[in-house]
Amino acid sequence: MKHRNALLLVILLALALTACQKTSDNLVVGTSADYPPYEYVDEAGNMAGFDIELMAEIAKRMDVKIEWQDMPFDSLIQAVQEGKIDASISCFNYSEERAQLVDFSDPYHTSEDAFIAMKDFTKKFTKAEDAANYKLGVQSGTMQDEWITEELIETGLMSESNLSRYERVDQAALDLKAGRIDILMADDVPAGVIASQDDDLEIIYKEMLYTGPINIVLPKGSADLQAEINRIIAELKAEGFIEKLAIKYFYE
Amino acid sequence: MLLSIKDLFVTYGAIEALHGISFDGEEGGIVTLIGANGAGKSTTLWSIVRQIKEMGGKVDSGSMEFKGEDLSKYSPHDVVNKLGITLVPEGRRVFSNMSVLENLKIAAFGRKDKEDVAQDLERVFGIFPRLEERKSQLADLLSGGELQMLAVGRSLMNRGSLMLLDEPSMGLAPILVQELFGNLATINKEGSTILLVEQNAHLALRYTTKAYVLETGTITLSGSSEEVGKNPEVKKAYLGG
Amino acid sequence: MDFAKFFQYIASGTAYTVGVTLIALPFGLVLGLILSLMHVYGGKFLSRIMAVYSTIMRGIPPIVLLFILYFMVSGNINLSPFWAGSISLGIVSSAYQMEIIRGALLSVSGSQMMAARSIGMSRMQAIRHIIIPQALRLAIPPWSNEAAIVIKDSSLVYALGVPEVLRRAQLISASTQEPFLAYITAGLIYFALVFITNRLLNRLEKRLAIPANP
Repeated sequence: MKHRNALLLVILLALALTACQKTSDNLVVGTSADYPPYEYVDEAGNMAGFDIELMAEIAKRMDVKIEWQDMPFDSLIQAVQEGKIDASISCFNYSEERAQLVDFSDPYHTSEDAFIAMKDFTKKFTKAEDAANYKLGVQSGTMQDEWITEELIETGLMSESNLSRYERVDQAALDLKAGRIDILMADDVPAGVIASQDDDLEIIYKEMLYTGPINIVLPKGSADLQAEINRIIAELKAEGFIEKLAIKYFYE
Repeated sequence: MLLSIKDLFVTYGAIEALHGISFDGEEGGIVTLIGANGAGKSTTLWSIVRQIKEMGGKVDSGSMEFKGEDLSKYSPHDVVNKLGITLVPEGRRVFSNMSVLENLKIAAFGRKDKEDVAQDLERVFGIFPRLEERKSQLADLLSGGELQMLAVGRSLMNRGSLMLLDEPSMGLAPILVQELFGNLATINKEGSTILLVEQNAHLALRYTTKAYVLETGTITLSGSSEEVGKNPEVKKAYLGG
Repeated sequence: MDFAKFFQYIASGTAYTVGVTLIALPFGLVLGLILSLMHVYGGKFLSRIMAVYSTIMRGIPPIVLLFILYFMVSGNINLSPFWAGSISLGIVSSAYQMEIIRGALLSVSGSQMMAARSIGMSRMQAIRHIIIPQALRLAIPPWSNEAAIVIKDSSLVYALGVPEVLRRAQLISASTQEPFLAYITAGLIYFALVFITNRLLNRLEKRLAIPANP
């Protein structure tokens, strides 16, 4: 009898968990919900953020139901490529490497790169390349990671041993406070959130390097979906929807 | 004749272990094959129960008949299940990680007659009261004598008509050997034919009716156990004078 | 910050952690049992293949195998991350469970096989009725260890996007900036699961054990 109960439990659990599987009429959108204010989970455990709200509006106008699939940032491109998800919105900058693997929508927002340090940081930092003189931290797989790798390490300005790659920005911020790194490089919006939440940290330098426009990532050869999303992005820009969203999430 | 072996040749690779032995087992009798270590006693038993291949050996020629049936036509498990020949292997091989009761019950695994199985279990416990006392104990923890009793009891659960025993006395204290052989006599009286293989000739000859002496793969002497026991050669070689 | 919601959010990942374990562990057990039987009784050729399988599977970090299995093998089958992750973990675990059961089979085998043949069992029957039951009994203690490892490894499916305990701790720590609290909560949940599982398996072992002095 006990065995039968255990089996039943397994079956029920399996059913409950498969209930939220991909179905044909839903748009499965992947994101790495650990990057406030672009994407994060709110206190109620729901997805929230600039990207999330924007994508929800896009889906609404496409008249499809959205199904969120959270996964680590590093897994997203591959998941799109393999068709595990239909699209991904997770603060993706365009790059040629990425463009070989997936397609991009038109940009929906433009961001900058920021360098964060402790407030008592007094050393020289007047241009982006000065970062090469310090212990750096970055979220792995991001455009900032790529910039450091290509412009600082491969050019010989700094040694790779001085770079720490983190799975998430908040981990890097902790190490910054602990003194294991001197400078944290990140997209300026999440960098702004970190600096504003923590009195010890501040943004010491900002510049548009490899970042810039951010886009929705789509599988190769999804021209129809791409065209429709681009049309809606243009519509939302024209209506001022995106600007309002940016003010709500980035400047309030 | 219940069991009839003729001109049996068995080899292990290049080594010939049995050089054409012949012997008979009468229904209801209790027969022994005596001989020194390496004489080919176990080889004979393994050949009868068709497990010689697993031991790395091969029957080259000769015939083995049981109730007039050619044994070579039967698989090892049909020898037990269809013909009712059971082997109590040397070294008291029981299922060591099972309880005594599980060991006995599993021996009747192929039988559907549940009530008869229960009766047979009672019979085994009747013959070996020690097994009943220890029925829920791990077989691994039994004493040597108890293990041998369990091995014999397990083969009784197969309801065999011919029981083959390979060195049942080995490693047992004399008092336990007496007890065990007394039990075997009871089992024989209740209708099972017994073929006993023993190094302990003294003991084997005392409890059996017919005896064959096996020496390096050849039967050198046969007759009633009493006669064999009186033979001066046998006395000298096996009975310590 | 609302602490009740904070804990509740992480704890609600427990269902996934338990679910992944409840699929991966039995899946690995069945596969491991079959593979170990092939290893021990399947002859030289199969035995060698199994040895290679075991060496490869145990020589690669589970997270790497998880990605390979998820993205390559299940590339064409549309499995949800939950199922793909659970089955992949089950495959990883099968190599370890195979070794556990193989060890137990070998420690039973030999003379037990002969004893089984002498009571009229065929080879298959002997393996089924004699060898496997005794081997599984012997395998419980090392198996409990593997069960604990699978519970802990179930955290790896976060990488595929399954919102289990660890991923939830990561997400809530990113949005609340309370990483220590989040990870301590996750750690306690894993510890509790492993603790309870070991207790249950101990009880099972005691129940199946045959007393020395009844």
